[in-house]
Amino acid sequence: MTSDNGLMTALRAPFTILALRRAVFCVVGVVSAAAILTVPAIVPALGVLILWASGAMSHRPAPVVAPVFLVLFPLTIALLVVLAAPIGRAMGAVHRSLADRLLDVHVDAPPPRRLSKRISAVVSDGPGWRAVGYGLLKVPLAIPEGYGAFCYVFGLVNLSYPVWWPLFRNHPAGTRLGPVWALTPFGTIGARTFAGTFLIAAAGLAMLLVAPWLMRAGTTLDLAAMRRLLGPRRLAERVRELQVSRARAIDDAAAMMRRLERDLHDGAQIRLATLAMNLGMATEKLGVDGPPPDLAQARELVALAHRGAKDALADLRDLVRGIHPPVLDNGLGDALATLATSSAIPVAVNVELPDRPAPAIETIAYFCASELLANAAKHSQATRIGLGVVRSGERLMLTVTDDGIGGANPDGPGLSGLARRIAVVDGRMRVHSPAGGPTRVEIELPTHV
Amino acid sequence: MRVVIAEDAAMMREGLVRLLTDRGFEVCAAVADADALQSAIAAVVPDVAIIDIRMPPTHTDEGLRAAIDIRRDHPDVGVLVFSQYVETRYATRLLADRPTGVGYLLKDRVADVADFVDALTRVASGGTALDPEVVGHLMRAGQDPAGLASLTPREREVLSLMAEGRSNAGIAAALVITPGVVEKHVANIFAKLGLPSSDSDNRRVLAVLRHVSG
Repeated sequence: MTSDNGLMTALRAPFTILALRRAVFCVVGVVSAAAILTVPAIVPALGVLILWASGAMSHRPAPVVAPVFLVLFPLTIALLVVLAAPIGRAMGAVHRSLADRLLDVHVDAPPPRRLSKRISAVVSDGPGWRAVGYGLLKVPLAIPEGYGAFCYVFGLVNLSYPVWWPLFRNHPAGTRLGPVWALTPFGTIGARTFAGTFLIAAAGLAMLLVAPWLMRAGTTLDLAAMRRLLGPRRLAERVRELQVSRARAIDDAAAMMRRLERDLHDGAQIRLATLAMNLGMATEKLGVDGPPPDLAQARELVALAHRGAKDALADLRDLVRGIHPPVLDNGLGDALATLATSSAIPVAVNVELPDRPAPAIETIAYFCASELLANAAKHSQATRIGLGVVRSGERLMLTVTDDGIGGANPDGPGLSGLARRIAVVDGRMRVHSPAGGPTRVEIELPTHV
Repeated sequence: MRVVIAEDAAMMREGLVRLLTDRGFEVCAAVADADALQSAIAAVVPDVAIIDIRMPPTHTDEGLRAAIDIRRDHPDVGVLVFSQYVETRYATRLLADRPTGVGYLLKDRVADVADFVDALTRVASGGTALDPEVVGHLMRAGQDPAGLASLTPREREVLSLMAEGRSNAGIAAALVITPGVVEKHVANIFAKLGLPSSDSDNRRVLAVLRHVSG
């Protein structure tokens, strides 16, 4: 069963979108490696071009050649030193964006360069030089990538030989033609007959089957290099992240207290004051002793007060649930199931947790789910929502999907607020919500803080 | 007596209208924000306005600022400021120029209808009505605790009631003592705190507040 699956996967691998994307990434990698090799040669090549155009090269080297190179060589070095870091950064940005778009791997940008026009600031730009390091590493990395891309492209080409052979090889019998050549990693092979093209096609198939794994190896190495050299430096980035998330946590806590105060002030507190007022009026209507002066009014006021007390209780209940839903004490599964039942759109809940995460994580996951369900109900026009929680190693993955119209904005107040909350515990959020839908929000949280 | 109400919580506003109408007040306008309050005051010039401190749009101190403006522009309109909590700074801002025709009560006080109506009437006729809570805060925030410390507990009770704006008769009723005893206490208090004695309720309040809030 598994070997069948493995075989199917291997056979299908070349024909997936991912393989195509990897191929594009690899081809771009080869092109950039070539460009990187060319860059240091541009200035000397320009010098040679000038000399050649001016005729200095046409005879024996004239005495002018040596001084020109004496000028050009230091100029090249100087330009490389000054421009390497900014060019490295630019190239790094292009590669990060390629990895993001083609391979769906997000590498964070390093901290931006300090804004200074002084050459020393440009030259001492650490992340810029690390990007240059990546550029240099790109040259060997491009070899497996290029090999993989070659196998992919020419595998497809070779596979097609039998198809177009009859179209071009329909000469009268007896005509003697040269062989048709095909490229393989082990040199060229030629075919003179229709049957021979099947040999080429077989070679193509073999190449095509090998190509995804070669490309995968190349891109994996490349991505590892990218994370180390194009991303932010670990410790510095960590400190910055922690500073930002701490500031946000403080802001969030303050905002939450403010919201709580407002909710109490405008909700339960006002209801209770009104209730007290109605009871005060009712007391007066009932009089101190003897028969009540205005029993009908007193009854009405007591009924009003009764209703007010019930409303105040409902208000407080909502508020309490907003602070910490009691059902969360029974675990995330129960809490999310309860949450789902109160959604206007049908929600399919699937919680697979072998054990309980930390309470803080459960709370964050619950509020994320609650916010995402509310968002979906408000904006998505979806007819069904999927809510899943699974454990993956030491991480908890919360996924909310809907079949709505998409277009959710990760930078909008709702989702960015969630992202802030999640960042406090080193969680991450991914939003896939193309216009037209569907929407998929993935939240990754540690199981313990 | 003509009243204007400014309160953004509809439930509370309607309750107040009902309570005051029932008690024979004429509610000329019941509005939900400071701008509407200003125009209502200009249009009807009531005897007294009940003003919630926190109102839209910012829900901070719109009502208080409106109250201060009204006291400046319409000195004859009594202003009863109404809030769910006590801010000493709000009280001192409100009382800054003159402690006449002004009140600052917690919303809870509407529960005791008679006291509330009493306070409102006092404010409308140029008197004072400060919430015991407000007075307590002012006293605690006072800069001369030594002066207050020399008062007996009974004298302090009398001082609080004076600061709330009550007359000697009112104090006597509240403490269940005779007006004569109250007078004696008041004289002692003024002597101990070194205040010029005064018969007018408002000037007494002013003197006490000046003393306790420095």
